[in-house]
Amino acid sequence: MTPVNPVGDGTYWTMAAKTDAQWVPVAVSADILAGTVVPARLPTGPIAVWRSATGNLYANGDRCPHRGMRLSHGFVRGETLSCIYHGWRFGTDGACQKIPAHPSVTPPKTINCGPLHVAETNGVVWAAAKEPAEPPQFYPGYEALRSLVIVSTPAAIAAATNATIIDGAIQTTLGGQDAVLLMSPQGPQEVFILVLARPNLNLADRLAVSSALEALRRSAEAVEGAA
Amino acid sequence: MMPNTMRDAWYPVGLLSGLSDDGKDSQLLGEPISVFGAKNGRPSVESAGRTLPVVERFGHLWTSLGSPNKDLFTIPEADHPERKLVDVGVVRVKCSPLRAVENFLDVAHFPFVHTDILGAESHPEVSDYKVEIRDDVDEVWATKVEFFQPQAAKSAGGGITTEYMYRVPAPTCAVLYKTCPPRPGEWDVITLFVQPLTEDLCDVWPWMALFDDESSMTDLIHFQQLIFLQDRSILENQLPKRLPLDPAMETPTRADLTSVAYRRWLKRHNYTFGAQLVAE
Repeated sequence: MTPVNPVGDGTYWTMAAKTDAQWVPVAVSADILAGTVVPARLPTGPIAVWRSATGNLYANGDRCPHRGMRLSHGFVRGETLSCIYHGWRFGTDGACQKIPAHPSVTPPKTINCGPLHVAETNGVVWAAAKEPAEPPQFYPGYEALRSLVIVSTPAAIAAATNATIIDGAIQTTLGGQDAVLLMSPQGPQEVFILVLARPNLNLADRLAVSSALEALRRSAEAVEGAA
Repeated sequence: MMPNTMRDAWYPVGLLSGLSDDGKDSQLLGEPISVFGAKNGRPSVESAGRTLPVVERFGHLWTSLGSPNKDLFTIPEADHPERKLVDVGVVRVKCSPLRAVENFLDVAHFPFVHTDILGAESHPEVSDYKVEIRDDVDEVWATKVEFFQPQAAKSAGGGITTEYMYRVPAPTCAVLYKTCPPRPGEWDVITLFVQPLTEDLCDVWPWMALFDDESSMTDLIHFQQLIFLQDRSILENQLPKRLPLDPAMETPTRADLTSVAYRRWLKRHNYTFGAQLVAE
């Protein structure tokens, strides 16, 4: 059985139809504090990324199997994620542990929220629908700085930086600093960008990278608009 | 193509107390309509040059794009002279009109969405209740729904176990009867009248007929608006946007038997504007 869960409007989020054994950058590690959950995206659709009370990182489909509520609106307690709608509680394996409306019922094993594989390197959260054979690409001497969405294409972003795309990333300089742009296309006209910079940059240098990134966005979106 | 059955139903399109003589443009089931206060002495609704049938009832103006084969449903309790009739107003929600109704039929979300008001996390259990599709009146009914509520109504002093009855008399309308704290033996009436604008956008017009001599009209409206805005944060974040009528898409439990009956009733009548029939 391969259930496919549409999120509507032609966008698909697949729970079991996991064919992508590819690490995709989805968030900055430091943005996900222990005990919190945030929304993120894989090319296949929305996901919820959460960090348990003890600091372990997990990700699953952003949809409660009960009534379709986004789990990224939910709450983390201990080593579990709960849906904000009816409090259905899911464990680190994605299995439903508790249905509060029926406290004496043990939820069937078949109810789960589609757990994903996650990894953290360079201060980046990576997620994959299917377990990749290799760990995520490591960039020695770099640390995640921030993320950004550009309404454009990887090719237009590469053109705007005069760089070439290697392993889905661009190595360039931003604001006078070395930078790596990890790119995750979200559709034909949208790219999630995660920027890596040298660790221990001072605040002014970090702001310079950030400003240059926003300038790059304006430039890449203008290039795309003119095309 | 929208089935004719849903075109023939009645829908709320405005508060009688808030209509504009100059007309207000709106939508119904994806079609443009204009709602007038007193263009020809009485409220009226037009669509693409046609004058639509109207009914003035329960504080709202009602209309239909088709040929209604039955009168607007009645709420006999609402005629009681001692009840306070509350025009709550309108809340626009980016969701399927059917999802808005289904959420209104659900008590299991109270502890998590209306925390410490309509429910408490310490009392989340939904005990068994009775659900039926009443063929004689063609309505969905749920009775003997009991739930612990910290503050069941503006007039409730503290936590009580409230009894509810739910009724779906039209595809986008639901009526709730609930224990009335100041009047044991009577039921407060709270309704959810939904105007379907498109398949994933609706105007919700809650309306109430309550026994409450204490609370001001403003407080009653604020209470209901607080509750509904909490619901909106859910309704705008459910996936898929349209209500799935394919049973494999979602996972109902015993607490959801009202929604199961509502979905079955929608399917039976081909009331599918705002519904998703098969997984896409």
